[in-house]
Amino acid sequence: MNKITRTVLTFLMLGLFAGCASNQSKNATPHDPIEPANRTFYNFSEGLDRHLIKPLAEGYVSITPAPVRTAVTHFFDNLSYLNVILNSFLQGKISQGFSDTGRFIVNSTLGLGGLFDVATDAGLERHQEDLGQTFAVWGIDRGSYVYLPVRGPNTVRNLPDFATSLFLNPLFYVTGAVLFPVTALNVVNIRANLLDATNIRDEAAVDPYSFTREAYLQQREYLIHDGNPPTEGYDDIFDEDGDFGGDDDVLVIE
Amino acid sequence: MFYRKIKIINTSGVLSVKRLTCCLQKIAILMILSTSASIADTRDMHADEQQATVTYTDAMLVIKELHSKLLYIMQNAESLGYQGRYGEVEEVVISRFDTPLIAKVIMSRYWRQLDDEKKMDFIRLFQRLSVATYASRFDGYDNESFVELSAEKLKKGRLLIKTELQRTDDKPVHLDYLMHETDGEWKIISVIANGVNDLSLKRAEYATVIKDRGFDGLVDEVSRKISDMELQDKE
Repeated sequence: MNKITRTVLTFLMLGLFAGCASNQSKNATPHDPIEPANRTFYNFSEGLDRHLIKPLAEGYVSITPAPVRTAVTHFFDNLSYLNVILNSFLQGKISQGFSDTGRFIVNSTLGLGGLFDVATDAGLERHQEDLGQTFAVWGIDRGSYVYLPVRGPNTVRNLPDFATSLFLNPLFYVTGAVLFPVTALNVVNIRANLLDATNIRDEAAVDPYSFTREAYLQQREYLIHDGNPPTEGYDDIFDEDGDFGGDDDVLVIE
Repeated sequence: MFYRKIKIINTSGVLSVKRLTCCLQKIAILMILSTSASIADTRDMHADEQQATVTYTDAMLVIKELHSKLLYIMQNAESLGYQGRYGEVEEVVISRFDTPLIAKVIMSRYWRQLDDEKKMDFIRLFQRLSVATYASRFDGYDNESFVELSAEKLKKGRLLIKTELQRTDDKPVHLDYLMHETDGEWKIISVIANGVNDLSLKRAEYATVIKDRGFDGLVDEVSRKISDMELQDKE
């Protein structure tokens, strides 16, 4: 019950922020109308990350052999896979849905509870689907960009997925003392898998907040289109002002 | 086009077999027709293909040149060191990327507010950033390989070259290059890695920095990134 209350509270909170959005939209990028609130959450999360979660993840990487970390990743991936199956079917990808079901069964049994990804070798490839992607396929608008503490970058369209991914994860039905260390391991392992990405961000970004937002939104488009986003969007940026791409005042460097 | 024609001819071929089993002659004629049609079509197709390949080859060669340089600095990462890698990729990045256009698009509406000297300075700074990024990111080799996959025509004669960086233990990274032809040469105007377009990322970031700290603040910030990459490698 506690968890459900928390979920409901999160939604309520988001509703409030979405409500504030209309008043704060001046000066902001169109897809990020609640940028000030998002930035506050971003800075909070970054602080928490820098002082606690990232050091834990780095420590975890240094003391755990890579094959163990891979097994941990596979284990949690497998537990979250029921949500992938549901969304494969919801998007009308029927054969993919059956292949995903097979994948879950194979990895849960032969893969020893998901520790080993034997399904990929058997040709049952891993897919990345969620309710946010399903809504996109159904033609629902993305909505505003929202940065949530701990959960990180999201869009409004993606929020209902929190519920399905939570309720479809077998861990949700586990009670007792074991839940805390398991959840902690999951969080630290997720963060460990993101270390390369965040290191690249820290190395490259002059404004990490906008970097994260743009990268996230584009990455989502890529996932929604299963790795083949429409290419016509790529070069729009060169035509926007009407004179981009023309040679009229492009400087020649000697 | 080619396949559709053959299909129609084949279908009518099957029908005539059913209706006029005895009239072998007709079938023979149909077969001859279909063969000659396919020969003609094949010839057309080859001509089309050849023409397409001619245009694409030049663009593809640019990408291959960049990739072979990258592979070289990856394979010799340690002996070259950061400065060595920087020197190796500098020329290909400066000559094969249309940095003046990239800088203009990234700076968007702020570009017009800059005088020519500042524009030139920024273009040079951005070239140094691109070279430094390659030198610092491609700093080791784990049997990766680059594979050039296909070319696709976009608006206004622009091309999208799709490639993959294949890795041994992981899914390949999709690297797409947006290119355009300027003064008879194909130049890269954007790199898209797994759907993430570096250009729009930088445009959003730079707009924020300019808004908060002005153009000079952006120049400071970018210069700092470049020297960070240099320093990081010396550690």
